[in-house]
Formats: sequence, structure tokens, C-alpha cells
Amino acid sequence: MRPFDYAAPATMTEATQLLRDVAAAPLGGGTDLLPLMKDGLVEPSRLVDLRRLPGLESIEPVAGGLRLGALVTLDRIESDDAIRTGFRLLAEAASAASSPQLRNMGTLGGNLCQRPRCWYFRGGYRCFRAGGDACYAVGGENEYLAILGGDPCYIVHPSDVGPALIALDAQIALQGPDGRRFVQAEDFFVGVKESLTRETVLEPGEIVTHVELPAQPSGARGTYLKAMDRGAWSFALAAVAAQLALDGGIVRDARIVLGGVAPTPWRCPAAEQALVGATLSGTTAALAAARAVEGAQPMSRNAYKVDLARGLVERALARLMPDRGSG
Amino acid sequence: MPRVAKTKVEVEGRTEERYSIVEESRLPAWPETTNIVGRSVRRIEGPEKVAGRAQYASDIRLPGLLSARVLRSPHPHAQIRQIDASRAQHLPGVHTVVTWENVPHIEWDKGNVLLEREVSFHGDEVAIVVTESDEIAQDALRLIDVTYDPLPFVVDAVSALDRNAPAVRHGRSNWVDEPLITTRGDISTGFAVGAVSIEATFRTQAAVHNCVEPHATVAWWQSGSAGSGDAQLVVYESTQGIFSARDDLARAMGLPLNRVHVITQHMGGGFGAKQSAGKQAFLAAVLSRAVGQPVRLVLDREGENLAGGYRGETVQDVRVSATADGRLTAIRASITTGVGAYHAGTMEVDGPYRTLYACPNVETTLQGAHTNIGPAAPFRAPGYVEGTFGIERAMDEIADQLGIDPLELRRRNDAPVDPDTGQRYSARHLDDCYRIGGEVIGWDQRHRLPEEPGIRRGIGMASVIWSGGGGPPAFALVKINPDGCVEVVTGAQDIGTGVRTALAQVAAEELGVPLEHVSVALGDTAAGFTAPGSVGSMTLSSVGPAVRVAAADARGQLLEIVAELLDVAPTELTIRNGDIVSTTSGRRVPVSGLAGQLGDFLIIGRGARGPNRSDVRVRSFGAQFAQVAVDLVTGRVLVERFVSVHDVGRIINPMTAESQVFGGVIQGIGYALMERQVRDGPTGRVLNPNLDEYKVPSALDIPEIIVRFIGQPDPAANDLGAKGLGEPPIIGVAAAVANAVAGATGVRIRELPMTPRVVLDALRGASSAGRRGEEDRDATI
Repeated sequence: MRPFDYAAPATMTEATQLLRDVAAAPLGGGTDLLPLMKDGLVEPSRLVDLRRLPGLESIEPVAGGLRLGALVTLDRIESDDAIRTGFRLLAEAASAASSPQLRNMGTLGGNLCQRPRCWYFRGGYRCFRAGGDACYAVGGENEYLAILGGDPCYIVHPSDVGPALIALDAQIALQGPDGRRFVQAEDFFVGVKESLTRETVLEPGEIVTHVELPAQPSGARGTYLKAMDRGAWSFALAAVAAQLALDGGIVRDARIVLGGVAPTPWRCPAAEQALVGATLSGTTAALAAARAVEGAQPMSRNAYKVDLARGLVERALARLMPDRGSG
Repeated sequence: MPRVAKTKVEVEGRTEERYSIVEESRLPAWPETTNIVGRSVRRIEGPEKVAGRAQYASDIRLPGLLSARVLRSPHPHAQIRQIDASRAQHLPGVHTVVTWENVPHIEWDKGNVLLEREVSFHGDEVAIVVTESDEIAQDALRLIDVTYDPLPFVVDAVSALDRNAPAVRHGRSNWVDEPLITTRGDISTGFAVGAVSIEATFRTQAAVHNCVEPHATVAWWQSGSAGSGDAQLVVYESTQGIFSARDDLARAMGLPLNRVHVITQHMGGGFGAKQSAGKQAFLAAVLSRAVGQPVRLVLDREGENLAGGYRGETVQDVRVSATADGRLTAIRASITTGVGAYHAGTMEVDGPYRTLYACPNVETTLQGAHTNIGPAAPFRAPGYVEGTFGIERAMDEIADQLGIDPLELRRRNDAPVDPDTGQRYSARHLDDCYRIGGEVIGWDQRHRLPEEPGIRRGIGMASVIWSGGGGPPAFALVKINPDGCVEVVTGAQDIGTGVRTALAQVAAEELGVPLEHVSVALGDTAAGFTAPGSVGSMTLSSVGPAVRVAAADARGQLLEIVAELLDVAPTELTIRNGDIVSTTSGRRVPVSGLAGQLGDFLIIGRGARGPNRSDVRVRSFGAQFAQVAVDLVTGRVLVERFVSVHDVGRIINPMTAESQVFGGVIQGIGYALMERQVRDGPTGRVLNPNLDEYKVPSALDIPEIIVRFIGQPDPAANDLGAKGLGEPPIIGVAAAVANAVAGATGVRIRELPMTPRVVLDALRGASSAGRRGEEDRDATI
């Protein structure tokens, strides 16, 4: 690991000043940043530790919703009562991430900002994501990579929390040297058409400070399902965050977001349209699930993900049917 | 008296007749009830390990100890055009940097020098830095400038055998020797008389040992006063074979055997990857000699995954025929296995095809292929895990075709004598394994497992055959001190199986003293005596009998001395629970009380492992059963229950024996479902040299594992009646799990590991071919 300076500012002003330096990197739980540094994939000259900043570790009620600091750990999200009762989908997504040890350290903000896991990128290949001019996955080992929105770089976004926040219509508060702004969770992530080397809208020096979960409509219920290649501590082969508002058996609102299949969390408007106004049944679930993976373009070794994602959407919707008693 | 005899020596499942120095031993079998042997006792080194006091090779700290690290090739095959280490050399704290240009010339392994200008796999050693600290070493590696001229490469074993394939190493053949063809009977007749047959290609993956403890060495070259004439080399090594390590290091470094001292007190796993000194030990030794200080070289996890060995991938083209009532008429298997770029043996993948069942006509072809990948290494039951997957899947496919119960099919093809040689077995209780395993797993209920939407359940099984009877040479001393305490001295090493504890139990049993009075010294070539490596499940069955003979010798000497003191015949005396007891008068003298009468004394009993009998075949047997749940949506296979039944002779310590089975089954589940070294065809690099992307099972992947032992001693095997258990528990796991998955889903599984991709692709293939699958998934909603 290259030598680096370390700073732990006590105020946001100081932190944003320090982060103006393009070679500085913000440090939260360090569960992604430190391995990236050890592998020589990022080489910041300074780490700006955010953990002394006030207010970034709190969970507060706001107008029927919740405001979460970016440094809230995944473990707290998983176990917080207010989240578990009002935003169960998010608690489920957090608990699906990684391992207990890593959830104790990993933060909400860090989970949204983590870099992709593509083994060509992580393995030091000069690929698009690393500023190079090729994607090695197309003719290579693409089992874990994108089936949607990929061309020309086929990373999948690794976050479990990201799809959940989009399904909950969350807002993300950002703080940069030039001030504060809010973006919708859905707009936080950028696809390969916008950038091949970054995964979020964060400008240099900008950090995530909070996430705001709005009050959910009445009859809201959601769930997060994640398929992995072992029982724990794996990134998603495919995942689905499904949030519905049900009135009797009728779907009034639906947000379906896939994880692990595209360079960003992948919202499925066609699937949502198939559900809204319909009675939630096996038939509508199957239709919505088929719509969710419309346009998928699998590569040589990841066609299984199409079936998998579709199956997970169906299963998630089945879980949300009123007689299943989920909420 | 020692004599030279031809005896059968078994190494990793392959039996060889060799000359060996042996000493006859004629001990009577232990009585039916034993006191200490057969009892579950905790590991005697347990407290040391739990408290963190146990010292592994990488824990050793010596005055002036330096840290070495390896720069590895990023290319699968390249010529080093230029290498400039001057910037690294000038970094403060750097003692030396060696490259192919200046590395001392030693032949560390069959025709191979330490560093070459031609690098032949991703991870091949390019340069080594020796520095004051590990951190400096990491910095120094980045300051070495290397220009490579990439060369053509091949990473796929089958492609490597193609006439037009690029040479893995310049000027050498990609073929490992000639194909090994073994035949019995007449294969074409066998196919002609068969009523049914299956033809299939089974594929198994490369799987990395990934021991908790990586390859590690602390080497200390101590030059003598008169230059190197009386130099000696002390090596703390994580090795399964301290004597092999000593011999190989002595040869390479030009030292007599008595000037190389190898120490391995504890190991965090070897599983076959550490059979002698690792390459890092040779590097550390020459570097220590070069810098005049001890050198520590520990592979990091990436090095371990790239250059630490793996179970070679196999492609097994198989045809099996049987009569309408399920009697096998012909088995043909043509097997290719990748062994990597350098010297590595071709493992006995053909073994199970030849020996598991009575089939009159068998033909196996085994061919190793060099590839531009790190060297393969034996891995827990090498060859047998891979081969058992092939033959046992084939058996289930035959059973499926004939509509015969798979377990019944195996019984119909039972081989009461070794089908390869016609020799009888020393002992064999395979049918009991089938019966007990079937009862515990609920074989008869396998078609009535609980159902859930989207989930299919199934039960599958596989048979297990392995060697593990041990053999000479192995020696031991048993010392009785004046206070009655006992020291067992051997040259074995404890790879982690708990053999220390088992050897103490053997000595305590034979002597009649409490286990707490016995200590065991091992893992030190200077203090102990030649013993086999901890390979082939043969440590206990080789060294244990030597310890028993030594204990009997010590006991005899002790009783003779006491008989003189008491003026009775030695035959009147016995030892019970640490007391010498007269069987006639009932008089008792504690062993610990003799010091008062005798002053200082030391009784030294000496023992050697006797020869193996030539008229019987010593094998262990087993049957393994898995119940799985297959998620038809996610493709995930969950092993829900596992039953492992083993016929390995007498069980010395049921607790540690059960632990062996747990470990083997878990490792087998990893191999069956997720572990896989991923090689990128177009670039020739390993994509997952880490524990993030090389998936080993998590606690959530491990089912209830139920272990049963037949426990019937095998007196013809050796003086303990015990056979090894290190390897058998992994052998049938992948096959049993695959058979369970096939039973659950109705799709044929012919590839490992059974990842969600493999399972979903198989289900999709099956459903598009009009088989089960699609309607199930609709039914999940």
C-alpha cells in the first residue's frame, strides 16, 4: 500500500476543504476502500476520515419518514426498530449484505459508493472501468456480470442497499465544496453511457451525508430477495427490491428494482406498470417478472441470470400477496 | 533386528512394492475392551492452540530475522526481456533482491532451478526481496522494473495436448509422460454383452487447498567457523513431511542430512499441498545463506492461490455397460487432467473406476497435461475425489436407465476381493456401511421427502474406497522417567488431525498408565526418527504401531526391573492405571514410586513399524449419503443432511475421528458446490486468487453431519488394527451430492462445482427438452 496522510476533521467545512484535493479519499468503514488500496487499484495521497463528523451516525424521524446518516452501519440498519417496522425492505437488504463482521464496519454511504466487483477490474486489467479501452468479460468469464444496460462495460453494481433505497423512493443528500444538494436515489447511480469510470453522480470532493426515506403510502409493503452462490458473504447473482402499496388485493403503487444484473441498480418500469391497477396474483406476478427482464442481453455464461432475476421477482411478489401476511 | 524386506508401500492410494528396512513385530492384538484407546479424549495440544501459544512456522521470531516477499509474473507465459532491481536495492531496509540473473543455482525440484528467465504461469516467481520488514518488502516489490516479452500460452488441459498447442515451457512437451493405460478383461466384449450403457463426459474443476495457514518458512543458515564446511540449516516449515523436507533441502543445498534440521510443531492445514519443503523454503534457505541472517518467507493469500497448488481439473470421457439386471459388463474411462507448468504428478483419477466395483472388463487411460498455470499438488484423496464423481454419477445414470435402486445396483456389483488384483482384503465391511448409512439418512423414504413450492429434495449416495493401512519405515521411542511420566518420541508431524493425542493414547494403553502421564514429541528431525509424511491417511497406521511396539518394549523392561526388586517373576506383574501390580499377591507399586528405590534411571523402549503382509490387500471403505434441497428459482443447492459411514478399522479417538469426518465433508461440499479456480482463457490469468472470489463454504452452507464408524479392528492391517481417516471423508461427497441433485431435479449433473449457473443451465436445458422444471417454477407463485 502506498504511503498516505490521514486526517480526521471535526467539521464538515474542514472535511470538504480537505476533500477538494482530488487525490484525497473519504474514509467511512473502510471495508471497500482499504482493500482497493491494498490491491493498488486506488492510491489516495490522503484519507479523510469522516467518522468524527457530527450527525452522520444518527437515525432520526422526519415527517413520517426517516433520516439516516451516511455513517450508520449496515448492522444498525438491519436491527433498527424504526427501519424494521416502517422500511422492512431496507432492513432485509442490509442484512443480506456481506458478513456480520463487515456489516459492523460497513456504512450506508460506503455501501452506495463501493466500487464494482468485476474480477477483471479488480484483477488489474486495463479495462474500460480502469480507464482502458476494452471489456475482457465479453469473451471471458462473465458468469457474474451484467445482462442489462451493459454495453460496452458489463459491471454489475454490487450494492444491496441501493436497490432498496430506489424502491423506497429515497433521497440522497450530498455535500461538496460548493454546497449541498439532494438527488433521488435512482439518479444517484450512473450507467455506462454516462461514465465508464465512475458509478455515481458524486463530483470530486463530494460525499454522501444522509439518506432520507419518505413516508410510504398506506398499504405499503416490501421485500428484498438476493440469490448468492453460497449461504452468506457473497455479492448478488441477482437480487430484487420490491415495494408495493396494496389496497385490498389491488396494487396502487409498485417499485421493482433489480440488483446484480446491471451497472446500476436496475429499475423495472415495465414491470411496475404491469402491476399498478392490477390485482396481485400469480398471473400478474409472472407478467411483471417477465417484463422486469425484458431487453436482457446475456453473454456466453450469464444467461442463467435472466431466469434467475425473473424467478426472484415472481417470488418476491408472491411474498407480498396479502394472504402471505408479509409487511 | 532390522532387515531388508520387500513390502507394500502405499502413497496417496497407489500401492508400490519397495525395499524397506523393517523390523518384525509380533504383538498380540489388544483385548476386546481397551481402556484409553477407543475413548474420546480432547487434543493434548488443544489448550496451547486455544490460548494462542502454539507456534506455527510464521510465528517464529529469531534474532535478526528478515522478511522476504515474492514478485510474481502477471503473464501466463513470457520471457523476461529486462529486469532492473536497482531502485529496490537502494530502498533503505532492503538487504538483497534476487532475480533469474543472480539467484544462486540450485536444483530445487527435478530439473528446475529457482528463478528462470522464462516465466510459465500467472504467479510464477520473478524476483524475491529480502528486507527488514514485511512493509518494506511490499514497497520494494513495486520498485522492481520488469519488461516482459509475452509468449503464447495454453491454460486448458485438453487444448494443451493438441499437436498445435503452444509449448507451456520452451522446448518441453505438454504431455506428462505417456498415457497410463490399464486394462482388465476385454473391453469390447464387455460392451457387446451389455444390455444398457451410458456414455458421458464428466468434468471436475481445479480446486485450491486454501489452507488456513499458507506455505511458510523461517530458514536460518548458520555458517560454521571454517566457511560453509560445517554450516547447518535450521528450517521452521509448515510441512506434512519433515523428513522429506530435510532430505530435499539437504540435497539441494549440498549438506549432509545431519546438518539440516526441520521443525514443524503445528500446522494450519496441508491437505497435500505441503508434502515436502515448499519452493519458498528453498528460496528462504539460499537467501539466508546469502544475507547471513534468518529469513522468513510466507506466501500471501494471492501467492497461495496462484502458486500453492490445487487439485487438477479433469475431463473424464466415460462409457459404462451393464446387463439388464444391473451387473456391470464394461467400464471405460479416458481421463485428462491438468497439472500446471512445472513438475507435478498425475493423480490416480482412474483408481475408483478400477477398484470400486466388480466389473470383468475395465479400461482406463490417464493423461496428465502441462498448462500455463501454477503447479498442481496432491489434494486430500488426490484423484479419488475426481474419479469417484465420475464413476458414481455413471452408476446412478445406469440405475436410472434400468429403474434399479442405486444402492441395490451397488450391492449387485459388490467386489468382495480386489477386482484389480484378485487379492482378498484384510477386512471389508462395505455392506454394513451401506446398511447403516441407508438407515440413518432414510434411504427408503427418499421419494417421500417434504415438498415445498419451488424446492425439490433428493437423496443420493456414493461409495468410498481408500488405502491408509500405513507401512514401514517408521520408528519410535517410549521413555519412562523416574517419576513415572512417559515421553513418546517420534518423527511424525501433526498436520492437524490430532495424531499427537492418538499416539499418546496408544502408548498409555500399551503401558497401562494414565493418559495425563504421557507426552509426545514430534515434528523435529533432529529429535525424532524417520517417519512417513502425513500423506495418504497413513500417519497413525504407520507411526502408531511403532509407538505400540516401543511401549511394549518399555513395559517389558520396566516389569523385569521391578520383578527383580520384588523378587518375583516378571510374568506375574502387570501395569494398571500407573501401578505395577502383582497378579498373584495383589501388591501394588506405583511407577512413580520407583525413583525412591532406583534413583535416576531411564527406561527406553524402542519400536518400529513392522512390514505389511503381502497376501492381503489393505483398504478402507465407506458410504456417504446426502440429502439436498434444490431451489428451482435460484439454482442453489443446499445440503440439508449428510451421513458419512466409514470402515477404517479400530477408532483410536472417536472425538478427533469425528472431527476428521466433519472437515472432510465440509471440504467436499465446497468442492461439490462452489470452490473453483477460475482461469481466463483469452488472457491466461487466474481471476479469483483470493478468498473473496474463491468461494469456500460458510457456516450457512454446512448441514448436520452424522458420522458413523464400523469400528471393527483390522488386525491384518497393522498392530493397531486401525486405518487412516484423513482422506476418506472427502472422497464421496461431491458424487453423493450430485446424485442427490440429479434425484431431486431429474436432470443429469456431469459438471462440478454445481453452482447456481450450472444448476439453472441444466434445468433450462432439461425443461426446453421437455423434462421437468418449467412447470415447477410456475407453481412457486
